[in-house]
Amino acid sequence: MEDLERLYDAVLAGNAKLAVAVTQEAVAAGVDPQVLLDEYMIPAMDEVGQRFEANECFVPELLISARAMKGAVEVIRPLLASAGAEPVARVVIGTVQGDLHDIGKNLVAIMLEGGGFEIIDVGVDANADKFIDAVNSKNADIVALSALLTTTLPSMKNIMDRLNQAGLRERVKVIIGGAPVTQDFADEIGADGYTDNAGAAVALARRLLGLN
Amino acid sequence: MNARERFAAVMHYQPRDRSPIMDFGFWDETLPLWQAQGYPAGANPDLFFGMDPQWITCGCTLGLYPAFAELLLKDCGETEIVQQSDGVIVERGKFLGSIPRHLRHTLLDRDSWDAYYKPRLRADDPLRLAAGPAWEMQLAEWLRPDRDYPLFIEAGSLYGVARNWFGLEGISQLMYDDRALFEEVVETLADVIVAVLEHTLSAGVRPEAASMWEDMCYSGGPLMSPKLFQEVLVPHYRRITSTLNRYDVDIIFLDCDGKIDALAPLWLDAGVNTMFPIEVGKWHADPLAFRRLYGKEMRFIGGVDKHVLMKSPAAIAAEVERLAPLVEEGGYIPTPDHRVPPDVSLSNYIFYLEEAKRVWGKGLANLRPTGRPQQEQATA
Repeated sequence: MEDLERLYDAVLAGNAKLAVAVTQEAVAAGVDPQVLLDEYMIPAMDEVGQRFEANECFVPELLISARAMKGAVEVIRPLLASAGAEPVARVVIGTVQGDLHDIGKNLVAIMLEGGGFEIIDVGVDANADKFIDAVNSKNADIVALSALLTTTLPSMKNIMDRLNQAGLRERVKVIIGGAPVTQDFADEIGADGYTDNAGAAVALARRLLGLN
Repeated sequence: MNARERFAAVMHYQPRDRSPIMDFGFWDETLPLWQAQGYPAGANPDLFFGMDPQWITCGCTLGLYPAFAELLLKDCGETEIVQQSDGVIVERGKFLGSIPRHLRHTLLDRDSWDAYYKPRLRADDPLRLAAGPAWEMQLAEWLRPDRDYPLFIEAGSLYGVARNWFGLEGISQLMYDDRALFEEVVETLADVIVAVLEHTLSAGVRPEAASMWEDMCYSGGPLMSPKLFQEVLVPHYRRITSTLNRYDVDIIFLDCDGKIDALAPLWLDAGVNTMFPIEVGKWHADPLAFRRLYGKEMRFIGGVDKHVLMKSPAAIAAEVERLAPLVEEGGYIPTPDHRVPPDVSLSNYIFYLEEAKRVWGKGLANLRPTGRPQQEQATA
């Protein structure tokens, strides 16, 4: 297969049809699906994330790139599963109790998925039990908490406390984000990381897990 | 000087006695919570807090006509699933002042646009363009020469309502999957807006301002690229603003939360000249900084950091003083940068208003007093 850069370009441009077609051709030609994922798809989404962070691309471009990658991943998913491939890490993500907003959470989930993470989405208005159950049942590495309302920031603190009480803080990293969230607040409640945009979330998650 | 004259004078940099004292309302939970802190149950907040008369909005419906039936689909305890009048299926909190969460959209593509939405957006629909005795009564009020409050005419939305109908993901993908449909949706919305504006303005109504709404920015910036915004939306903003200008409506206000830096100059270039509510946020938006960048052509309403209202009296006083030079210069009416949330105490809010009235209102006798019982206010 001579031109796998077309897969990188297709994901970057958000061309789902081309991304799927190139992936199918590559698989048929015997290219290792893990190579397609690690060397072309994830780097393309990394570039999208960097452009998003730099305001060189915006939500529509991020979404169509993620859709292109998702289409391509569907082609190789059965092959990865049969080869016993593991995700980069597992992330439990949700909007905290009292808050029904999900746009920010969904964008972060999209970018993390594009970065090779497995996403366990506990939805909106999620209480501490939901996060704890998901961490335990999925053996997660990261908990990602989102909030839009200032009034729901105490829910983040509560979830941090409950993760501590459940003895899970040694096992999982906690990252937080949302319009009212700041680095100061992250420090105050003892979160491991904070980012103000979806594009930077992948780099943060990798850094916290020592994957860079 | 009445509130109408004062509003016009401020926005045109003309001499005036003082700044208008206005607000942007409250979260649903705020006033009930404040009752435990001394806010009288059932009080009219404008009267209790001593606000100047707020603007009243005029015009005919810009929305879907006829609207979808509002249906309760499922009661989930603290939340409920409903079909809204815009055809969107949402889950919304019964007790939270939160934005409803979209579950499903009726508008998905060309077919659903043609079937369900385009027929509800006819610019020439005689039922949309109001007439008859009720309309005549409204016109008479808006045309009243001694009207003493600012009148705004609704000038709609080119992106915000379409985003609500398609969902953020849907409209974002539409821009690439079917740009022709995206352009048609924007053009159709603009057609309706222009027709409705013409209908009201040609009747002789001369509002002090027009109001648009988009909410198309978040903490990181715009929800679409400025390039696409320029190509698709700006020409239709120009159609709207030129219609308004033809009828001497020269203050055109746009409501957009979030970080508006990338779009503000494009709006200004398209004739939209008043930004609201200048949400300060962690991106530190500042009407003084915008004024330095764009000069007096760009005007503002808002810009008071609501988070400061949760802090000490000294911090609140400093926020009021910070904005005083811009209030003095004009083209600016300060209000909290969004509705006041329940984590602001009543005493802090009253302190803020008293500072605002002292500094921006110059402590004049024509200010309404703050925090008096309603009956006393009515005669004040």
